[in-house]
Amino acid sequence: MDELLAEFVAETREMLEAIEGEIIAWEADPSDRARLDAIFRFVHTVKGNCGFFDFPQLASLSHAAEDALADCRAGRRAPDSAFVNAVLAILDRISQMVDAIEKEEDLPGGDDEKLVAALSPGGGNDDASAIGDGNTAEGDDSPEEFDESDAGMPGPNQPASVPSVQRTIRLPVELLDRVMSGVSDMVLARNDLAHRLRKAGNQPTIDSPFERLTSILSDVRDAITRMRMQRIETLYNALPRLVRDLSAELDKQVDIVMEGGDVELDREMIEMIRDPVTHIIRNAIGHGIEPVADRIARGKREAGLVTIAARQSGNTISIVVGDDGHGLDEERIAQKAVASGLISASRRAAMDREAIFQLIFQPGFSTAEEVSNVSGRGVGLDVVRDNLERIGGGIKVSSTVGVGTLFTLQIPLTLSIIPGLTLGIGSQRFAIPQSYIEEIIHASSRSLDFTHVGESAFVTFRGNRVPCLMLDEVLGLDEAGTSWSERTLVMLRLASGDLFALGVDHIHSHGDVVVKPLAPLVARSGLYAGTTLLDDGQPVLLLDVTNIAARHRLVSPAGTRNLAAAEETVDSAVSDAPRAMLFTDHDGRRCAIRLELVTRIERAEANVIDLSGESPHAVIDGEILPVIGLPDGPLPSEKLRFLRLFDGACELLFAVREIDNAVQLFETLHPEPGDPTIEALTLVEGRTVALLDGYALFARHGHPPEAGNKAWCRLPETDWAQSFLAPLVQSAGYRVVNGTDYREAVAIRFDSDADTDWAEPGETPPVIVLRERPDAPEGSQTIYRYDREGLLRALDQASKARIDAGGQS
Amino acid sequence: MNDLLVMARIADRRCAFRADHVQSVIELGSITPIPCAPDFVAGITALRSQALTVIDCRQAIGVDRVELKSDHRAVVVSVEGYSYALVVDAIEDVTTGLEQTDDVAGGYGEMWARIASGMVETPTGPALLIDLSALIAGPDEFGIAV
Repeated sequence: MDELLAEFVAETREMLEAIEGEIIAWEADPSDRARLDAIFRFVHTVKGNCGFFDFPQLASLSHAAEDALADCRAGRRAPDSAFVNAVLAILDRISQMVDAIEKEEDLPGGDDEKLVAALSPGGGNDDASAIGDGNTAEGDDSPEEFDESDAGMPGPNQPASVPSVQRTIRLPVELLDRVMSGVSDMVLARNDLAHRLRKAGNQPTIDSPFERLTSILSDVRDAITRMRMQRIETLYNALPRLVRDLSAELDKQVDIVMEGGDVELDREMIEMIRDPVTHIIRNAIGHGIEPVADRIARGKREAGLVTIAARQSGNTISIVVGDDGHGLDEERIAQKAVASGLISASRRAAMDREAIFQLIFQPGFSTAEEVSNVSGRGVGLDVVRDNLERIGGGIKVSSTVGVGTLFTLQIPLTLSIIPGLTLGIGSQRFAIPQSYIEEIIHASSRSLDFTHVGESAFVTFRGNRVPCLMLDEVLGLDEAGTSWSERTLVMLRLASGDLFALGVDHIHSHGDVVVKPLAPLVARSGLYAGTTLLDDGQPVLLLDVTNIAARHRLVSPAGTRNLAAAEETVDSAVSDAPRAMLFTDHDGRRCAIRLELVTRIERAEANVIDLSGESPHAVIDGEILPVIGLPDGPLPSEKLRFLRLFDGACELLFAVREIDNAVQLFETLHPEPGDPTIEALTLVEGRTVALLDGYALFARHGHPPEAGNKAWCRLPETDWAQSFLAPLVQSAGYRVVNGTDYREAVAIRFDSDADTDWAEPGETPPVIVLRERPDAPEGSQTIYRYDREGLLRALDQASKARIDAGGQS
Repeated sequence: MNDLLVMARIADRRCAFRADHVQSVIELGSITPIPCAPDFVAGITALRSQALTVIDCRQAIGVDRVELKSDHRAVVVSVEGYSYALVVDAIEDVTTGLEQTDDVAGGYGEMWARIASGMVETPTGPALLIDLSALIAGPDEFGIAV
């Protein structure tokens, strides 16, 4: 197989994976133009490519799909579920064919005509069977696919003589581990050096090479990490399809919510947990979620909800899969276990609820009344548990009858670098993984109300009563004397969705920490997930947030979070005192700005600021944003903090010296007419605070987004148009849009494009027609595509026409 | 038995560690205590980028809590992939073991027997050869009161 073909296979497969989620989203919302376009682009590319390689079968399939989708795009037909099924079936078939091409086998023959026929309106009668075929084939093929594409080794079905086509090499895992730990040692050495340099003061001759070292190191670290890591998204991508197919098959309605897709896992681990996760979701849909009628009868939302959330905590990743179905039935599980001889009746009597739940992990256990082809496949949760334990992880289940079931998978991570927050209690410091942290608040803040109920402490946070732990009590430290009101509360959100507050004395810093495993005799205490070294070389312990919460019984049994989340939004609307973000600006003023305006707190190096223009700008995440609030004179050398403000249309960065807290403004607001930038003065905790006038800020500094006042110009969807034409059109003051858009002022098309939805020359919107050849046919209004002057003239005329039209109306 | 041995004093007794088990001998810097860890775990300390679990050998053996001096040096060992810094009274020397006896008449006493893998003769006299995993397990698991 030559390289070109290998590229084709790899590209097609990549695109297939990428649009997997799109197609489901499109079905949910058929009016979603962007999704439809993405799918269309895929079949279009496949069609184009296979014309090149001579795969007539593949070409005719993709051609049929393209035609049908084009109809859909042009609005000639509406995408109903039969249509989506038919498209899905074709995508599956394309995927099978690509597999076959890679193995240099004959393309799977058969009922292509049937698939194509299903596309035509009213032709979707046998689509269910087509879908079924597609699924099984896909399921069988996927492990092999991994072997070939990721490991670069011949799969079991591949003739041994075929050379591996992926340009990959195989390395022993130990070598990778050694390199990784070497790099993380380098990170620590750098941190140590940084610390010493800071102490020694500014030394320009050393600082700049050191900066270089830092950036190189972070590049290397990223690359090394990626060598083994993959985002868990790769696992998530296939889930919407799974949920869709299964729920359609079982005639249930199920939505899936996925969180934490950016959590990274070892490649091998992802493959290992793929089956368990799929299995649990199958179970959740097959056994957990009730049929629609039952759900309505129980007053639940019509569509069931399956949630999957990934969180990293020290050296483990926890993946929580939950459903809001009818929960595990303790009694039925027990009966079943007794009946199948797993336990004796007398033993059952002695078992508590938790112990009975554990029975579902026993070999040979299945509660399904009848074996369906969905969940009763003979693979039980025992296999799932075994698989996880084999890789050093574990699985837990909790459930509430009528509310739902929650499976927690723990997966180990041998070495990792995670963002963490260092905090202090007394004289000691500890670290917490950033991913848990929801918010940090001073306990003295007025928005909090602290109460004791029996031995337990609670704070009222945004109208919710949240359990509160004091770190010194958790750790059994004797730190008498600090009253709770001097504490800082770190609000932690667990993977199960539960929120709790952890009271600490100080917050030190945040940054990337390298997590090292703990010696077993320390790990046994259950409080720590690992150790890490701070910049100054001092080791600190990483708190095991999940375990601490579990010990204090703060983890809710099951899926109550969705209810809780709903209540949260209701409660937060009750209190009507305005909320504001408190901060100190670079002039040392204590200021506040209404919280609704603040979208994010940004931290950035001073070098992102560009002072060259009329007003300062900064580049954050690839966007150019105006900056206000900078100090006069030189910029501070260390990292700058900004409040990112958004008024619904444009964004501003407000540079601040220090960010204090989000507060509620209970005191009277005294209007301040003297200073136009200040809305009012008010008191917060007895001190005056200037509440900035957001209206004035945006009126003075906000630039409306560029697109707002520009006319749209529609371009053909060809590479040439995108890479040659688009820059020219943009420089003429237009914003480029693909596809039909009614805001469009001008359209540009080729004379060869005979698509009917393009307007003719002379109509509104104005259309500029390009021709491929320099010499114009007789009487043609077309412009040669490389006639820059002619094109600009035509655009100019069009924009004048637009202004005239604007003036008249 | 002609192995190199690192000789140390623990609770005023001469003890020996096999040199190939010992990674290095370090000067102990600051130790971060670990709340809720067993008593004989003094805390963690940093060695380059490694975090070492610091074990007080006297308490790990179960010697009565008398004030014992230490010369602030520790023996760094690795057990099952984890590194530990062992706090001893003093580190004396590196020497060659001459002859190892697994059992001695009368034994070493309950406390010491648990962590001993035998007795070793050295040019400077006999010493107790330490069984590292037993030492690190600490006294609690064997039900011996500290």
